[in-house]
Amino acid sequence: MITDSPSAPIVTLTAKQRRNLTKIMRDYHVRAFGEELARINFLPEPLRKQAVAEMIDHARHKGVDLTRPALGVTP
Amino acid sequence: MIPYTELEEFFSSLVTTAQARGITCAITSGMACVHFGVAATTKDCDVLCDAEKSDDFLKLIASTGLRGLFPNYRGNISPPLDARWMRGGWTSHFTWKTPPEDTCLDIFGVAPRGSSPWQQELRGIYARPNVVAEMKRTNREKDWPYATALGGHMLNEGDAQGWLHLYDVEVLRRCAKQSPPPDHLLDLRPLLRLFPFADTLRVKRLLLAERAFWSELDELRVKIYQHHLRPYTSAVRRSSVSRHNLPITEAHALRLECAADHLPLQPLRDYGLNSMIMKAKANVGVTVGPDVLDWLPRAENHFYGL
Repeated sequence: MITDSPSAPIVTLTAKQRRNLTKIMRDYHVRAFGEELARINFLPEPLRKQAVAEMIDHARHKGVDLTRPALGVTP
Repeated sequence: MIPYTELEEFFSSLVTTAQARGITCAITSGMACVHFGVAATTKDCDVLCDAEKSDDFLKLIASTGLRGLFPNYRGNISPPLDARWMRGGWTSHFTWKTPPEDTCLDIFGVAPRGSSPWQQELRGIYARPNVVAEMKRTNREKDWPYATALGGHMLNEGDAQGWLHLYDVEVLRRCAKQSPPPDHLLDLRPLLRLFPFADTLRVKRLLLAERAFWSELDELRVKIYQHHLRPYTSAVRRSSVSRHNLPITEAHALRLECAADHLPLQPLRDYGLNSMIMKAKANVGVTVGPDVLDWLPRAENHFYGL
C-alpha cells in the first residue's frame, strides 16, 4: 500500500549539479531561515530531527505556546 | 510536558498502524517539512486521510491512548471525521488532554491546492514533497520560504516538478544555470518561460503576482469554509451545554447531526471553483496590475479531490 510513485520523471543529476544545487539551497536557507536553522536543515535526518526536537522543547519550556488554533479548515 | 521526540514517535506510530490496517494516510505540513529538511516549530500533527477510510481512522484514533489519555474532538468548531465532509475539504480536529498543553491532531481528506492524488504520492508515512509544497501556497507569509525550500529539495532529488515551487528570484536564476525547466512545466507555470530569469525586476514582479494570486485564492477558500462554520459551531455548543465530557462516539454523533444541518458537503464547488479563480485574479489585477494576469499559474487543476 505504501507507494512511492513520482508523478514527474526523475532527472539524473551529475555529482557537480547536485553539489551546485545543494550550495544554492544552503545559501537560500541562510537567507530565508537564518544561519542556525540552515545549519540544522542540512544535518543528516536523525541529527536534524533531534535538533528540531531540542529547539521545540526549549521554546515550550520557556513558555512559548506552539499549539495551533482549531479553525475547521486547513490553512 | 511531553517531549517532542515522544510526540513525533506517537504520531508516526499512529500513521504506521493506520497504513498497516489499510487506511491510506500520510503526515504532511510541519512534521513532513522537518522530514524533508526544512525545520518547522510545530508540535502538533497534520494528517491526510483518504476520505473513504474516515470511519476506520476514527475508530483507530478513538482507541489510541497517549500516556493513558484518550482523545476527543477539539472544541466546538471541529467538523466530524466523516467521509461526506472529508470529501468536501473540511478539517477535523482532535486533542489528547495532556497536561500542561494539549496534543493536537488535524485530519483532512483533500490536500488544499493539490494537483494530483496525494494517495498515490506517499513517501512512507509522509506525503511527498510536491504535495507538502503545494499546501504551503497559503495566505500566510511564513509559509512561502517552506515552499521554495521544498522545491529546492525536489530538484536536488532529480524531481523536475521542484521548478513549480521556487518563489525566489536568486534561486531561480542560479538553478537555471544547472539545467532549464522542462517544457511540460511551462504551461503549468508561465513564469518559467522567462528562463534564464536574467530580467530580475520582471521576475520579481511576477513572483509577487503569483504569491498574491495564491494568497487571494487561499483567503477566499478559508472565508467560504468559515462562513459555514459559524452556525455549525453555535449548534454544537448549544447541543453540548448539558452534556459535558461526552465520549468520542457520542461527540461524533452530535457533530454529525449538527453538520447535516449546517455544513454543506462541497462548499467550494457550491461557490464555484472558476468563480474563486476569477475573483482571485481580479484582486491581483488591482493589487499588482492587469498586465500580470496572463502570467499567473493555472489553478484549475489545484482542486484535486473535491
